[in-house]
Formats: sequence, C-alpha cells, structure tokens
Amino acid sequence: MSVDNDSAVPAQHQRKIIHFDCDCFYAAVEMRDHPPYRDIPLAIGGRPDKRGVIATCNYPARTFGVRSAMPSSHALRLCPNLTLIPGNMTKYRDVSRAFMAILAQFSDHVEPLSLDEAFIDVSSSDAFQGSATRIASHIRERVRNELGITVSAGVAPNKFLAKIASDWHKPDGMKVIPPHEVESFVLPLPVEKIWGVGKVTAARMHELGLYTCADVQGWSQQQLQERFGRFGQQLFRLSRGEDQRPVEAREERLSLSVEHTYDQDLRDLASCLAQLPRLEEELQQRLARRQLLEQIQGRVVKMKFHDFQQTTVERHLQRPDSDYASLLTAAWQRGQRPVRLIGVGVRLKTAATTQQPQQLSLVW
Amino acid sequence: MKFVISREALLKPLQLVAGVVERRQTLPVLSNVLLVAEGDHLSLTGTDLEVELVGRAKLEQPSVAGSITVPARKLMDICKSLPDGSMIEFDVQEQKLVLRSGRSRFTLSTLPASEFPSVEDSPQAFELTLAQQQLKRLIDRTSFAMAQQDVRYYLNGMLLEVVQGRVRMVATDGHRLATCACDAEVNPAEKIQVIIPRKGVLELVRLISDPEAPLRMLIGSNHIRAHVGDFVFTSKLVDGRFPDYERVVPRNGNKTLLADRQELRTVLQRAAILSNEKYRGVRLLLNPGQLQVFANNPEQEEAEESLLVDYDSENMEIGFNVTYLLDVLNVVGEEQVKIILSDPNSSVLVQEAEDTDSLYVVMPMRL
Repeated sequence: MSVDNDSAVPAQHQRKIIHFDCDCFYAAVEMRDHPPYRDIPLAIGGRPDKRGVIATCNYPARTFGVRSAMPSSHALRLCPNLTLIPGNMTKYRDVSRAFMAILAQFSDHVEPLSLDEAFIDVSSSDAFQGSATRIASHIRERVRNELGITVSAGVAPNKFLAKIASDWHKPDGMKVIPPHEVESFVLPLPVEKIWGVGKVTAARMHELGLYTCADVQGWSQQQLQERFGRFGQQLFRLSRGEDQRPVEAREERLSLSVEHTYDQDLRDLASCLAQLPRLEEELQQRLARRQLLEQIQGRVVKMKFHDFQQTTVERHLQRPDSDYASLLTAAWQRGQRPVRLIGVGVRLKTAATTQQPQQLSLVW
Repeated sequence: MKFVISREALLKPLQLVAGVVERRQTLPVLSNVLLVAEGDHLSLTGTDLEVELVGRAKLEQPSVAGSITVPARKLMDICKSLPDGSMIEFDVQEQKLVLRSGRSRFTLSTLPASEFPSVEDSPQAFELTLAQQQLKRLIDRTSFAMAQQDVRYYLNGMLLEVVQGRVRMVATDGHRLATCACDAEVNPAEKIQVIIPRKGVLELVRLISDPEAPLRMLIGSNHIRAHVGDFVFTSKLVDGRFPDYERVVPRNGNKTLLADRQELRTVLQRAAILSNEKYRGVRLLLNPGQLQVFANNPEQEEAEESLLVDYDSENMEIGFNVTYLLDVLNVVGEEQVKIILSDPNSSVLVQEAEDTDSLYVVMPMRL
C-alpha cells in the first residue's frame, strides 16, 4: 500500500491492516484431502435427523443456495445431491495453527477472529519494503503452496475496511483500499456493511432514508446520536471509513461454553433443567482440561427457542443466584416456549485480574 | 418415662450424638436428640436427615420405659456442667422433661418421639468387617483432601471402594487427591464404589475408640451403616460419579526427590509464614542434592530455606500451595518421603519412601 502524504493523518500514523479470510475453510481442507469432492456440492455439518446445521459448504453447494448456519435438513432440500460429511475439528485446528504461524512471521500483531480468519497489522513490518499489498500477496501464495487452501485478503488502513475488502473479490481474491481511495470506497457502501448494523438496525436506517454511507455522512454526529444513541457515534465514524480499533493479539480466552441442540424441542422448564447436569459436567471437564477453573468470573446460560429467537443470561459469580439452574430459569421466563438449544458457559477473568498465582487443577 | 443415669455414662454418647445435630435446622425436631429408655438401657439418636447416629448407655436401675425428644445442645451443656460423678434423674411430666441432680433442677421442652425422623435402611447390603484402626487409618490419611461445599457435590465426600481382598478410600477437591488402601477379607461379586458424604466421614471417625475391636459395615445402595462399639452410624450415600483416581495418579514422572519428612515439613512450615496468606504459594527449586524453598508476600517480605535431599535430575522450579504439601507431610508416617515430578505444570506424586498403601497427588501452582 502506498502512503498518501496529502492525507490528513500524518504518515507515521497511517496504519496498514490486512484481513485474511480462508475460503470455505473446512470444505477447502476436505477438498484438498479428497480431490473428488472439488466438483460436487459438499458441506460439512451435523446430520439432518439430529437437527444439525451446516458449518461450511463449497462453492458448488452455494450455487444451490446452501449457506453456513443453515439447518442441514433445509440444505438437503435445496440440494438433494449434497454430500454432507461430519467435520474433523482436530485436522482443521492443525491447519489453522499452521495458517496463524505463517501470519506471525510478518507481525507481532495478529488477531485471530476464528480458526480461519485473522487481522494482522503490518504497519511496522520491513518485509517487501513495507508494502502491505506485497506482504498480503506473498502470504496468500504461501498458504496456497504450503497448506493447499486458498485465502482471500483485504488490505486497508483499518480493521473495518480491511474486513470489507477481504470479502470483495472472494473467493481466492484480494482487494486493496489505499488511504486516498477510502472516501470514494465508502460513499456507495450499503449500510449493511457497517460493523454493528444487523437486520434490525438496517431496517430502521432504511426507514430514515439511510441506504449508503453517503446517506449517513449527510447526518451530523448529533443527529445520529439522537436517533441511534451511543451507536450513533460509531455510525458517524465508520460511515467515513474511520476506525481506530487496534489489532490485538488476544492470547487468552474470555469465555468458554458448551451447548447442545436437542433432537426434540424441550417443552418445559423442567425438561430444560434436566439437561443441566450433562452440560455442566462437560463444561467442567473442558475448563479443567484448559486449567481455567480458577479464572471463572461469571456464569452464562444461552437459550435458543424453537423459533430461533435466542437469549442469554449472564451473572457475576458473586451473586447468590449465579448458579446455572437460576440462570436457566431466568432465560426460560423470557421465552416460555419450546427450546431447541441450551448453552452453558463461563466468563473468564482477564489478564489484568489474573496476575495472581494460579492453582492448577487435576484433570480426570 | 423415668430413669436415673450417671453423668459419665451419659456424657460420651450424648456428645457424639449431639455432634450430628446441626445448629441451624429447618425442622425443630432435628435440633433434638431422641431418648428411648427400655429396661436398663437408654438409646440416644441424633440426625440431620443425612447422617444418623444411635448411641447406647447403661442405666443405674431399670427404668420406666418410654421415649421423648429434647433439645440436644441444652441437654449436653447441662450434663457437661454438672459435677463429676453426679447422678441425673430424667422424668417426663406433662410434655416437659424434668432433670434432677443433687440440688439442681431443670425443666426442658420436648417434642414427641413420633415426630422424630428415622433414616431408612437400604435392603441388600454388602457386609464388610475391618479393625477399627484400619478404618481410622484409611480416613485419617485421606479425609483432609475432601472438598468443602464444591459445586461438584460428589467431591464433598469420600469414595469407598471395595474389591477382592482390598478396601480403598479416595478424596479429592480437584487440586489434590489422597488415597489409602488396606487388605481385608472381602470378596464382593463386583467392584463396589460408594461416596460417603463429608459429614458422615468426619462423624464416623470420631466413633473409633478401640483400635483392635472390629467394625462392621453394611453398604447398601443408598445408605451405609456401621456398627462401632455401642454406636450405630448410618449415612446416606452421595449419588454421583467420583473421579477415577487411577487416571489422576501420574505415571510419567521422571524426577525423584527423597527427603527427610520431618525436615521438609519444618522447612515448609517456616517458609509458609511469609507466603501470601490468600494463595499460600511457595516456590521449590530442585538442584542435584539440594532443595531450596522460597516464599514471599505482598508486603515484599521473603523467606528462603534449603535442605539436603536425594535428587539427581536436572534443575527444576515448581510452585505449590504450601498447605497441600503440609497436609500430606502431616499424615504420612515414615522417615523419608518420596516426591516424583515431571514438569512445573504437571501433577506430582507424593508418597512414603517404602510404604505405598497411601498415594498423594498434588497439582502445582503457577506463581
């Protein structure tokens, strides 16, 4: 990326962020290991008779309208010839580790968002004379050669734009937004692309005549704040392509949870409560295995109802009603209809609070 | 109901039975002790619905038979404060218990015996007989590692395992584990594993007074019953799956340290004085032939200790909650203690150098 000296931000503060996003990651790994999968519709996900959902699917499957997070049964209706296979998380995790290791060679600031997606800040990198564009091309090349999968990249002065850019020429593509093109890039951008704008907010914005970032730019900060509260400030900045969030290497986990989708909806509170021991037991084991038992700060229960509406209840450990049964009861009260999924989890203390000695736990 | 009993005959069973009675109760009758007089015997029962203890005492003369419940703690405090050698007369009159001894007179409230709950018996019990001292050793060497009020309720107790020829107890709070086994003439059809609740374990061991005398245990599906001397102890069992101790005991330790137990204990006790009061962390530095122990606290005070040990592996630094190590050193017996380690983040095995009926696993602390 070239540095634009005319830009308002001093050159030394101009950041260079790359967002990498592997193309249909799980499916790509499977296609690499079983080439016949390449040309047929393929999805990785849970079994339809067990209410599984699609985790990833390849591009042939997408032409039928199959998407990730879609119930497997629905996917099979859209595409009866879909090859549906269960995932091999251990393998994906290994590939992910190798992918992150390549990124780490170019910067100390790597922020993984998931197994297949990461931000990297190369502002202070010397590689390729500091050209973020060349670093991105080089990394894409290496991932292709060394891991046998493709990754799309977005290069921009901040995380918000880098993330949009990586999606621009997907799959196996790359988009660079140099600083001097930021303005022309964001003006026609639909508001749905703004980070934090979901379906509900988008609908509200449309009602107000806000369809693109250009429309949003027409509003003052105060007007936006009046309509959207604190989020208005974010809208004001993001619609101008401004985003100061740093790329943070988040080494520690902030939360951990286990959840289960039930073959049959749980019809009442009692049957939900009956599922707790199994979920708690599994959570306990995972926490113990990762030596996180002593870092628990609060407990969380997530509940998804049969109509896919979901709710979460979180309470600090010090509250007397922070036991899972109380949380579950509170979550149920909010919906009071059949439940398809229950998750139990913990909020963990952050580094600042865990400088203290840490007693390790036995693993069984 | 009317009888006379000596203070000494009453006091011991009364104190033990009253120990089962919880101070705070939801049911008023649970703070009472049940007294049943029959012939020349008095039986006393205390319960908290989980643990029940029945004691027996001999009366001075045949009684007027009857049964009644009275506040356990008040009765015990009165008997304790009477002079040695006192004779106490119990007399129930119009729903009150009148106690007379010398020139003292007390009137206690009562509740009818019919309201007193009894712990049910489990059918089809497996019978097991140990010497009292055998059971005492099993409990004394392990009970310190039981959890207290852990959400994993099955850890707030102790595993009793019976296999052919062997009885074992296991306790763990998730940070350390203690297990001890003894040989016994038992032959169960299949392995028996039950969890005795924490309170039951602590009350049971208090009953042991005659080391050589036999102790008969009946293990049912929901209850365990023990006949110890004049006492019958019954406890509900904890329903749950206890961790598999065999999976917890480390097998991959490749560094062995041998130390004089008393010496190591005093070194740790001294270092502990300046460890963080909340976390109790101490740092152990293992060098060939020497062990150094360091502790410091938030006030920046420091303790440094060293002792000669038998160790010839590479240098290693590892942290521990000093209490967990001291708990083990306090219960094991031999002169030499053996510690087997692998790395600073893995569990270590502590045992007596020669005898291996007891095993202790302690997880380190990251300091």
